[in-house]
Amino acid sequence: MQATVATTTLTGVEAIAVEVQADVSPGLPVFGIVGLADTAVQEARDRVRAALRSVGFDFPNARVIVNLAPAPLRKHGTGFDLPIALAVLAATGQVPRAALDDVTAVGELGLDGSVREIPGMLAHAISAARSDRDLLGPISAGRIVGVVPQLRYRGIESLARMKGGLPATAPPKTSRAQTLAIPTIDVADIAGHESAKRGLEIAAAGRHNLLLVGPPGSGKSMLARALCGLLPPLTEAESLESALVHSVAGLDPRQCLDGIRPFRAPHHSCSVAGLVGGGTPPRPGEMSLAHNGVLFLDEFPEFGPASLQALRQPIEEGVITLVRAHGAVRYPARVTLTAAMNPCPCGYAGDPQRECRCTDGAVARYSARVGGPLYDRMDLTLRIDRVDPALIIDDAPVTPLSATVRSRITTAHAFAGTRHPCSMRSQLQADARALLEDAARHANLSGRAVTRVVRVARTIADLEQSVPIVVSHVAEALGYRSWDAT
Amino acid sequence: MSEHRFTLRLGDKRYPAQLAETPDPPRILYGIGDPSALVEGLGVVGARRATPYGLRCTRLFAGWAAGHGTSIISGAAIGCDREAHLAALDAGGNTLAVLGCGPDVDYPRRSAPLLAELRRCHVVVSECPFGQQPTRWSFVRRNRIIAGLARAVLVVEAGLPSGTFSTADAALDAGRDVLAVPGSVLSPESRGSNRLIRQGAIPITDVGELAQYLGLEGATPAAGDVAADDTLRALVADPMRPDDLARALGIDIVHTARTLGALEAAGHVVRYADGRYGIR
Repeated sequence: MQATVATTTLTGVEAIAVEVQADVSPGLPVFGIVGLADTAVQEARDRVRAALRSVGFDFPNARVIVNLAPAPLRKHGTGFDLPIALAVLAATGQVPRAALDDVTAVGELGLDGSVREIPGMLAHAISAARSDRDLLGPISAGRIVGVVPQLRYRGIESLARMKGGLPATAPPKTSRAQTLAIPTIDVADIAGHESAKRGLEIAAAGRHNLLLVGPPGSGKSMLARALCGLLPPLTEAESLESALVHSVAGLDPRQCLDGIRPFRAPHHSCSVAGLVGGGTPPRPGEMSLAHNGVLFLDEFPEFGPASLQALRQPIEEGVITLVRAHGAVRYPARVTLTAAMNPCPCGYAGDPQRECRCTDGAVARYSARVGGPLYDRMDLTLRIDRVDPALIIDDAPVTPLSATVRSRITTAHAFAGTRHPCSMRSQLQADARALLEDAARHANLSGRAVTRVVRVARTIADLEQSVPIVVSHVAEALGYRSWDAT
Repeated sequence: MSEHRFTLRLGDKRYPAQLAETPDPPRILYGIGDPSALVEGLGVVGARRATPYGLRCTRLFAGWAAGHGTSIISGAAIGCDREAHLAALDAGGNTLAVLGCGPDVDYPRRSAPLLAELRRCHVVVSECPFGQQPTRWSFVRRNRIIAGLARAVLVVEAGLPSGTFSTADAALDAGRDVLAVPGSVLSPESRGSNRLIRQGAIPITDVGELAQYLGLEGATPAAGDVAADDTLRALVADPMRPDDLARALGIDIVHTARTLGALEAAGHVVRYADGRYGIR
């Protein structure tokens, strides 16, 4: 007697179809799983046997072989428990075979027969919806997979539920919170730092990568967090993308589903795999978890050189491709990179209150850890200095609330989308071009620096909803260029 | 390489006379270049981490003096030293470097092209033998040779504490005058030179005063162009960060940033490494 149950397994953020075939034939009682299954899948044998017995099904006293097809694909994880159990039940006639024809099943089993969530439920749900199949899985995942459009989800809390045939499909949910409570710092609460706040607005409007340079305790991390609050909430499509990465990584995707932009701030001891993804089986890194949000790297030069240089290509392409012996995995990684660093190893270069005692060589070596190619990818560089304590105490709130700035940014973003996409150089007005040429001469700008200034000027023009880039836009953009650019 | 190495012993005919009469002249002077270029000149010293103000003053005074026949003596270090040599070369004048390592050693390495030029066309000397690497104390010893070769030492920009003070002390020991360029009362980078003036150094506030001191003619004091712009006027005395400038002038930050950008593009102001803007 044979039976087949469809399931899916993760590669990257995609769930690809796998067929679970069970063959029950007379012979010595064995339970074998073949088809490049890893340890977690092999252990399914014990879980399935115990789960079936404890909910009152019979485990056949016969030769049971389960094949996971396509056989050459490596299978990881505990999501195969439920489909293996169902395939055995169908092969032994304990569950009608026809009932499972249009169903894709995923889920882990407890010894008591309970069906549990596995990482990547969203990916499994999207795959099922795309191939127009019902998804059978743990009932607890219902609130998350409910956001996937056109998905028919059948949730069960225990394998015992299968005695009464397939459960009904759950109604789709609109899980988005009505009011968005963004757990970040409001720019209006930040005293001083006026030019830095303006820089944040520009960075948020143009999704520019941002480098904050300043002495310890000057407020770099605070400003980076405030940046996250300036970005408009995730769109439906974006929130699904970000939630998908979180789901695949085994993290709670609900914040992303509510539209809150991810903010990830890994410590500088983070490994390359931790930052861009990796491991066996591959897991998304911090950069992918920050997809559509902010990746904040504090103490930028303290990150390992390999980690830093691994950022370069994903920053450009918005996607990380991990190539391993058994194939390539792609994770999305479109982030607003925000990096913070001290100006020198001691941290106090240029601080009016404390003297810097670093030698020129030490400062040069510190800065060289990041390296030119990475500096080149930072569109805005902001110098952050400690704010006069008196100002922190009596500063009247002069800056608008994050919500106000956010609406300006949303408008700018919408404007950027509608304006005619012609080359930036042709939008530069003649006098703006002249100013840029003067600046290139006087401030000794490199070609790349000029390109970045124009890019930032474009965003400043978008904030004013101006199609041409005029002279004042370029003049302002000059102030945000890198110190390393000369 | 057709570099010309020479060794001068105290008492040699070609040993610079002004150096020989100082209290502690070096017994042997090693050099590369033209030994006859070891004439009395003006020592120009200043901070290695010079501000644009310091560099500008160095260029102004060293360039002018070199252009009017005064040899410029300095230490080829980065910052003010190098600017003094370059200004002298640009003015077509004579300049010589005194090193704290062997005269054939390129130290600091960033000055290597400058040193090569000086060895070829002018002269580089040291009391350290050829090939000797620099040590921390050799620079302090070196300063007395700069002072000894010069008739006066001009301190362009010095903070507190500063290595420049040892050159000033050596100048006084050798009976040379110390000249100093005053700076902003608020600028830490000028605190040292301002203190020298209080202690009796001769203040040099324009080219005319330097000309008068050197006994030269033909100096026209640079016409101080009064800054028309509020922003420029605020920055003349004291370099500021955009935030502080905006608060001082009572204008919003976007307007300030745009004004600064336009002024920078026009070459009126420069951005310092610490984010402040100052007059170029």
